[in-house]
Amino acid sequence: MRMPKSIPSIRRSRASSAFVSLSVIGVTLAMAGCQATPTDLPQAQPAVSTSCEWSPAPGSVAMTDVVEALESRDFLVRDTDTALGVVSAERVERATYHNADAVRPQLGGFVLGGSGGRVGGGVGVGVGFGGGGWGGWGTIDDATRVERVSVALDAERIRVTRDIRLFDWRGDLRESRTASDSDFCVALRNDLLAAGPESTEEIR
Amino acid sequence: MRLALLLMVVLGVSGCVTSAPSSEPARQMSVMADADRALDESLALLMQRGYVITMADGGLGRIDASLARSPGYRVEVRVTESTPSGASIALQAFRGGRLLPAAVVEPLFVELQRRLAEAP
Repeated sequence: MRMPKSIPSIRRSRASSAFVSLSVIGVTLAMAGCQATPTDLPQAQPAVSTSCEWSPAPGSVAMTDVVEALESRDFLVRDTDTALGVVSAERVERATYHNADAVRPQLGGFVLGGSGGRVGGGVGVGVGFGGGGWGGWGTIDDATRVERVSVALDAERIRVTRDIRLFDWRGDLRESRTASDSDFCVALRNDLLAAGPESTEEIR
Repeated sequence: MRLALLLMVVLGVSGCVTSAPSSEPARQMSVMADADRALDESLALLMQRGYVITMADGGLGRIDASLARSPGYRVEVRVTESTPSGASIALQAFRGGRLLPAAVVEPLFVELQRRLAEAP
């Protein structure tokens, strides 16, 4: 008589231990996914290109040259500081956010009946096409692309950093990346060389 | 079973609640350099790490820089001339608009201290 009694208790303990281990894994995963606070401040990824820092010929580049070079590239100068030699500028343009709510099937379900009666409930599943926005079919993928540049100029060095952020039509930040790349920095450097008094060779 | 499942979810979500050091004072450091040099080195350090300078004022001793990596980081540098021999640098970092614990800026202080110790 003892044997049949013990079997269910073994089963139960096995099941509960499996549940405990599963829940431990679940909690660990959930908490690991939430590890938000970094221990160090991040750096630009990819790192700042080496062509974004250079030594100009002494006295060849002034802050006004930097401002003019940026303005000729449609940047709006936001802040300057002559004491530190910093120019901060911004370029805003309309863009298309290609990952916006594309026309894709949106799965939705709703319960038709309750579970009160004996018969039970029914579940209906509707599949519809449409993006977020005003009409059912159209999608609004207008976005605003904001490009920020800062140039620091002292007696020996010029340093350039840049980033690009994309806001969707609601104003939500959709993409955000650092963009201190060599294409931009070399172009700006060539502008400054052309503007300077002794324009010599062009850097490629 | 249902209670345990609920507990699991609650625990999992509570793991997301980061301790918000909302009113923690900025970490400060005194350096054996004048305010101008401290500002120059802070500026160079932040820009070499890819931070875009959004606001800089040498007269006020302020630099605001931001890094466009999701969800967006911001560093505020405040330099004050504390003693005739040296300045005091205060750093505060934000992630997605929320203040980060002061220990996060410690590596920046170490690097700044190293640069300021070098001959100008």
